[in-house]
Amino acid sequence: MVMKNPKLARVAQGARLELVPLQVVVPVVSTIIALGIGLVIIAATGASVVEAIEAFWDGMAGSDFNIGASINRAISLALVGLGFIFASRANLTNVGGEGQIAMGGMFATAAALHGAGGLPLGLAFIVPLAVGTLAGAVWGGLAGVLKAARGTNEVISTLLLSFIALPLVYWSVESFHLLRKPISDVSSLPESAEIPDSTKLPLLFPDNGSPLHIGLLIAAIAVVVVWLVLRHSSLGLRLRAVGLNAMASRRAGMRTSFYVILAMTVSGGLGGLGGAIMILGQQFYLTSDFSSGYGFDGLVVGLLSRGSAVGVVIGALLFGFLRSGSINMEISAQVPSAVVLICQGLIVIIIAGSAILTNRKVTR
Amino acid sequence: MIDEQMAVFIGSGLRLAVPIIFAATGEMLSERAGVLNLSLDGMMLMSAFTAALASWATGSPLIGVAAGVLVATALAAVQAVLSVTLRANQLVVGIGFNILALGSTTFLYREIFGPLSRDPIPGFAQLNLPWLAHIPVIGPALANQTGLAYVSILMVVVTWLILKYTSFGLAVRAVGEDPRAADKAGISVAKTRYLGVLYAGILAGLGGAFMSVADSNTFTENMTKGAGYLAITAVIFGGWNPWYTLAACLLFGFATALQFLVPALQLDVPVALLLLLPYLLALVAIAGFVGKSRQPSALTIPFERGG
Repeated sequence: MVMKNPKLARVAQGARLELVPLQVVVPVVSTIIALGIGLVIIAATGASVVEAIEAFWDGMAGSDFNIGASINRAISLALVGLGFIFASRANLTNVGGEGQIAMGGMFATAAALHGAGGLPLGLAFIVPLAVGTLAGAVWGGLAGVLKAARGTNEVISTLLLSFIALPLVYWSVESFHLLRKPISDVSSLPESAEIPDSTKLPLLFPDNGSPLHIGLLIAAIAVVVVWLVLRHSSLGLRLRAVGLNAMASRRAGMRTSFYVILAMTVSGGLGGLGGAIMILGQQFYLTSDFSSGYGFDGLVVGLLSRGSAVGVVIGALLFGFLRSGSINMEISAQVPSAVVLICQGLIVIIIAGSAILTNRKVTR
Repeated sequence: MIDEQMAVFIGSGLRLAVPIIFAATGEMLSERAGVLNLSLDGMMLMSAFTAALASWATGSPLIGVAAGVLVATALAAVQAVLSVTLRANQLVVGIGFNILALGSTTFLYREIFGPLSRDPIPGFAQLNLPWLAHIPVIGPALANQTGLAYVSILMVVVTWLILKYTSFGLAVRAVGEDPRAADKAGISVAKTRYLGVLYAGILAGLGGAFMSVADSNTFTENMTKGAGYLAITAVIFGGWNPWYTLAACLLFGFATALQFLVPALQLDVPVALLLLLPYLLALVAIAGFVGKSRQPSALTIPFERGG
């Protein structure tokens, strides 16, 4: 394969696509196709499509509470998605969001239960957030270190790290020596005790019953920072250079392993922050499967966005609302929420399959 | 007492290894041709479900296996179109298929069997080969297996023979190492890779079907629990060699079976640590701390003629 000059290819592509921005059209069309197929499947089950859509809409946005809950879901997805595009700027594919969320949530719970509760000035929730972020960063960074030091494929290593993280969370809520709450008369479930009120994220609108919390502001800041770093900083440029051609970057004097480790650490940290926010903002206690599915949802959000922070926001909101809707659809209209998984899988496959349209150069 | 538990441990270790042996053996051939199927887990899950469904509907586990293999192969065909012809990112496509497989099998299972079904699925009987049972310690465990378990070992031999002694095997190796040279020598890169992916699909299908109609005689949501990922790791661990890959699969099977042995021996080891053990072993292995091996040069790199 004669490597085409990627810069030239990009310029040529830009000229060709000025009228039809395929980067936008492809994700939108894939989503529409997938959701259309989802509707057909619902109809095929014999359920009333109208009833299903009503239940779906009600779950997504039927009340202030539901809207708040949907946006809260979107917050964590956005953070994982941001982590994904941060790593992919360096041509690294972080598919370990699930494990990074799990580690972030577990360590945030530990910090909230042991010590952070009595801290003043909002530190009661800031410290657990920081601890969760750090835990996710270590988990992601580990894949970066393996990549830099041993050349280990980060797709496989982040996946395996997820499969290692999930039993660790299970262990932490199974063992009384770790985070499991003491057995009482009312409950003996393997889960942690509820975190102290002072460590819960403050609500944005405490008066109208919406569960929307300040995680929204944290996520908004993260979006802006990631956007600035990736698009308007020399760090973003260096990450891109390392991703496009590690050898040339090394010859130009860059420490490529440093950037590989950095990209994975930041990526994992964002996932860890997402996990910490899930616990401190909405769930308030740790269960073994609290992260279930969020990692892959966040990954899909990152893929859909095609590297744009704004795209991540749109995708995260889409999936946050979809997930809320699908849960309610299962409860009120008896349509299995797995329909949404089918749609998500289709979206990923269609977008990956149409990459040949948007990206003529050989990736990876 | 200890002997009995060892026999149970060896038996369950082997049974847990069989699906991984099937999937990893097929995957190894596909990877030797340059295509990585991260969708292996999805193929297995689809096959496990289809096999359970067909076996339940017809009463014949053999028809179940055939149906499972058919569906997994169809999935592999779509994967091949995307990975080979459309040159899509093989890793992303694979993850997409896994999400799709999890969603569709969960959905169909609930629609067809209902959320809490415990309907037994007709499965294969164990063979109880007397001449194997006489081997000390491991004999009973080896003998009390279904026929499909022995087929998995047969497939390792077949795959080894294909790679080493057939012109197709030569083409596979050439296409995986240097597709440009292979193309110049008149080998069709696309055709070889298609066949490689389909082969992986057939074997992943056998592995998935084994889980539902030979091992557990039931289907549960997400029943592969990442076995496909373990199979991919076993290929890396095994250095793309059929026999080392087989050894890696057995190691993973026994590591998973430890979670049944350790509590039985009343050892105080958290089950969670045993659950993560195979993945930790796999991580250590792919990090290259257990012997350095070289992957096929063109692995995951799409081929474009004259580009």
